[in-house]
Amino acid sequence: MAALMGVRACFSALQLSSPSLLHSSFRLCAVPLSHRTFATVVKKTFSRDKPHVNVGTIGHVDHGKTTLTAAITKVLADAGGANYKKYEDIDNAPEEKARGITINASHVEYSTANRHYAHTDCPGHADYVKNMITGTAQMDGCILVVAGTDGQMPQTREHLLLARQIGVEHVVVFINKADAVEDKEMLELVEIEIRELLTEFGYDGENTPVVIGSALCALENREPELGVNAVMKLLEIVDSYVPLPKRELDKPFLLPIEGVFSIPGRGTVVSGTLERGVIKKGDDCEFVGHNRCLKSVVTAIEMFHKSLDQAEGGDNLGALVRGLKREDVRRGMVMCKPGSIMPHQKVQAQVYILSKEEGGRHKPILTNYMPIMYSLTWDMTCRIALPSGKDMVMPGEDTPLNLTLRQPMVLEQGQRFTLRDGKQTIGTGLVTEILTFTDEDQCNWG
Amino acid sequence: MSLTFLFRTVTRDAAKVGLSQHVQLLHSGCHLRAADKALLMKLRKSTGYTFINCKKALEKFDNDVTQAESWLQEQAQKEGWSKAHKLEGRKAKDGLIGLFVRDQAAVMVEVNCETDFVARNEKFQQLVKNVAFATLAHHLNKTQTQASYIKSVMQGEELNKLSVGEGSSLADQVALTIGRLGENMSLKRAVTVGVPPEWQIASYVHGDVSCHNEMAMGRYGALIIFQGGKEEEREALGRKLGQHVVGEAPLSLGNMDDLPCGESETRLLSQTFLGDPSRTVAEFLRGKQARVLDFVRFHCGEVASEKAE
Ligand SMILES: Nc1nc2c(ncn2[C@@H]2O[C@H](COP(=O)(O)OP(=O)(O)OP(=O)(O)O)[C@@H](O)[C@H]2O)c(=O)[nH]1
Ligand SMILES: [Mg+2]
Repeated sequence: MAALMGVRACFSALQLSSPSLLHSSFRLCAVPLSHRTFATVVKKTFSRDKPHVNVGTIGHVDHGKTTLTAAITKVLADAGGANYKKYEDIDNAPEEKARGITINASHVEYSTANRHYAHTDCPGHADYVKNMITGTAQMDGCILVVAGTDGQMPQTREHLLLARQIGVEHVVVFINKADAVEDKEMLELVEIEIRELLTEFGYDGENTPVVIGSALCALENREPELGVNAVMKLLEIVDSYVPLPKRELDKPFLLPIEGVFSIPGRGTVVSGTLERGVIKKGDDCEFVGHNRCLKSVVTAIEMFHKSLDQAEGGDNLGALVRGLKREDVRRGMVMCKPGSIMPHQKVQAQVYILSKEEGGRHKPILTNYMPIMYSLTWDMTCRIALPSGKDMVMPGEDTPLNLTLRQPMVLEQGQRFTLRDGKQTIGTGLVTEILTFTDEDQCNWG
Repeated sequence: MSLTFLFRTVTRDAAKVGLSQHVQLLHSGCHLRAADKALLMKLRKSTGYTFINCKKALEKFDNDVTQAESWLQEQAQKEGWSKAHKLEGRKAKDGLIGLFVRDQAAVMVEVNCETDFVARNEKFQQLVKNVAFATLAHHLNKTQTQASYIKSVMQGEELNKLSVGEGSSLADQVALTIGRLGENMSLKRAVTVGVPPEWQIASYVHGDVSCHNEMAMGRYGALIIFQGGKEEEREALGRKLGQHVVGEAPLSLGNMDDLPCGESETRLLSQTFLGDPSRTVAEFLRGKQARVLDFVRFHCGEVASEKAE
């Protein structure tokens, strides 16, 4: 759900045609463009009956990530919670495009008794970072695969650094290839070593769950103790150790405004797709953005021409609000739970700059470059400042950077956006931190 | 320019590839079994070789750590070669450009691996460094006198054969690193330049990830051969030119008075200068009373066709 909404958010920011949504009567477009667009982007629709969690595998080359992924689907397929994906199918996943960005990743989905999982395996660091930025597969937790024959290998360090960088807080270890280790005491040493390493990288090494087994045995129906049972145990642990991400519905509501209408005899109606949370008739609300902040009350909610008592995240709706004139509110502002969100003018973000092949620029980006930032339903000129020590960012690279907006707009940590220059999309980013806008920043705008 | 310095560095670094970081004793237990375990853990920590091999080595030499270690090193070279043969043909398009300038000579190399995880790894970077030093040493060996400008380009096969002393070649080192890191790797190309005393070499590496501070390594590298400029401004000048070459990817040098042909200009001198878009590179150089004589740009993983475009 979270992933879906994230993707949608950016798409609605990109589609600029919605003034056509403005009908003179209190009617709303049944299927807005944004919905149709994003349906083609997110290929899978997840079944909604179980909470959804994103996980991934990381680990040294040849330690068995792909074999483990195949084994998980096999074990769960026997229990009815997945389609068995063969090793070859996982490894030969085609390149995919998420919001114009080419990502090398293979996605597999499966369900345990309690949860639905989307499982991602990427070949490189940059692919995981692109995944994080585009939000296609944000990892709530990851499975670190270590071969018991080898122990942690040189790249394991780079993997843990990555996990830190993309904000993975929960790591579960699978010590694989236990079938190939005669002396089981050696496996204990492997475990001790990996715990030390986890601690070194700021994880709770002592309490991190470690499962010892063999993905190959599970796949080949051998030695059930190391095979099937170990994989089942791993899944149970992932179920309990990786916490559920906060449900979008539990968050304070946020409606990016796409259109504003005036209904004679009734008042002002704002329309848009509810980004998150639940709105009920009678709720207090606040309009923020474009240097304005107004309070009001939602007096009616309408969806598909029907009047409703409440709407949920993902719904396309119109809301009648009390005491506001049509001119008071405009596209780009948001309607939210009072006090839940603030406009900001300066943020730190992780940004991916599209390569020429992806339709981006062919020239590098330097400090003081001024593209237009699109997020939710607003757009605003912004100025880029690269981190110290970096002179430029080449197309096809990701980087942290600071963005200063010409005017404060609704922005919060975790919000996605795109950067455009004229007709060209040049980058995609994720807000990582809100920064204070100083007098000096003001001067820079001249 | 001390040749011996380079040779020494190469051999020393080559020896280091297989060696340790830090030795740390785990539980100083009292049982015999525990002592064995502690020894295994120690050997594993100090060498970084796989658990299974460390165990074999200790068993083979009856817990003699010194013998075990040298056996492991021999073994690593053998296993490296067999691994290298096994992985042959797997695409290696990631990797690093390594760049080193010393006085009137410079070297720039490209070494490929499969993923950026490995490119960030210290052992891979050690390999890049060894390749650069061996190539430069080879170059200096060939060209004792430095009266004129010399540029030489070497490709993979030639690089593989370069010696790093003690009968071992760069190819052996590549195999060793493949064995340690588990990915296919290859030496793609190298360029070395030597300039007469009144010329300058500037260099620029973009996206420096090097954990060896004596050498820059990143995904793009450029060498600029130039003349002139005020002495105190030369470093900044060279850096700006290097950044321009990396950023704007010119394909040829052109002439100082060529007319620019817009956005798609590929002649360096006629391109809009990256550091000051109000001028062309030629205009910028005139202002600084400098002259660019040659340049080389490497983009890691670039394919030949991309260059030809
Ligand atoms: N003995 C044994 N071999 C295994 C086990 N799991 C995987 N392997 C073997 O290890 C090799 C590598 O497994 P993969 O699943 O391809 O490893 P990977 O981590 O996905 O490798 P890359 O995608 O190349 O990084 C294959 O030959 C597997 O058959 C296991 O539990 N026991
Ligand atoms: Mg794999």
